[in-house]
Amino acid sequence: MAKILVVDDAAFMRMRVVKLLAENGYEVIEAANGQDGVDKYKAEKPDLVLMDITMPIMDGISAVEEIKKIDSNANIVMVSALGQQTMILKSVKAGAKDFIVKPYQPEKVLAAVSRVIKEG
Amino acid sequence: MKVEFINPFVNAALDVLKQEIAAEITRGKMSLEESSVITEDDITVMIGVTGQLSGVVMYSITERTAKNMVAKMLGQPVPVFDDMVESAIAELGNVISGLASAQLEINGYICEIVPPTVVVGRGTIISTVNIKKLVIPLETQYGNLRIAVGLKEKV
Repeated sequence: MAKILVVDDAAFMRMRVVKLLAENGYEVIEAANGQDGVDKYKAEKPDLVLMDITMPIMDGISAVEEIKKIDSNANIVMVSALGQQTMILKSVKAGAKDFIVKPYQPEKVLAAVSRVIKEG
Repeated sequence: MKVEFINPFVNAALDVLKQEIAAEITRGKMSLEESSVITEDDITVMIGVTGQLSGVVMYSITERTAKNMVAKMLGQPVPVFDDMVESAIAELGNVISGLASAQLEINGYICEIVPPTVVVGRGTIISTVNIKKLVIPLETQYGNLRIAVGLKEKV
């Protein structure tokens, strides 16, 4: 089953998303900030990353850029409260393949995960 | 401090609370607060704002309200205010502020928000250093949420 890396500084958010994904058959690993996310990406090579933006130590946009240096084909979906046009454009420019605005609907997250993994 | 700066935060809070906890919300009366105040609620989530507007937004609730709201989000009782409840309330503040910043961008103010800071306990002095705050209380079936917005426009 596909392996998903969830990167979010909010423990509560990670818990919710991990539960949602695990209940739908995914293997899930977690990271609490962008740098942790980059390190875990190198170590675990997940099939997809769900990435928050506003995080301490390293923000999500920077983490996307770093992950893309490691793996230019990395599947990254942003899940963030920052739904401004400027932020969505920055995310896409950095290499994200989709953007979900919080508060998210679980079915949208599952649909995005499934689609991005399938499309590769 | 302009009224137009607080409306995006209040509207975002209405949307988020309805979606996350099916809140039935009544808006209270808006008031103006001095820059330096002593916290009266158990939990205050502070979100810094930078960009064309700068300052801070604060969301304040009691511990009981926090546990009620998180219990609804989790679908199970929450007997203790622990790290997970603190994280959930901080995230509510983060999500509300994120949505508000998107509306502010549409209104012509490009801003960014920083990760939330949570102050736990009453009686703490929080100062927004010469920026007065507009305050709106929101009443829900879980308890009240107080939103205080202290922002100034970049000259």
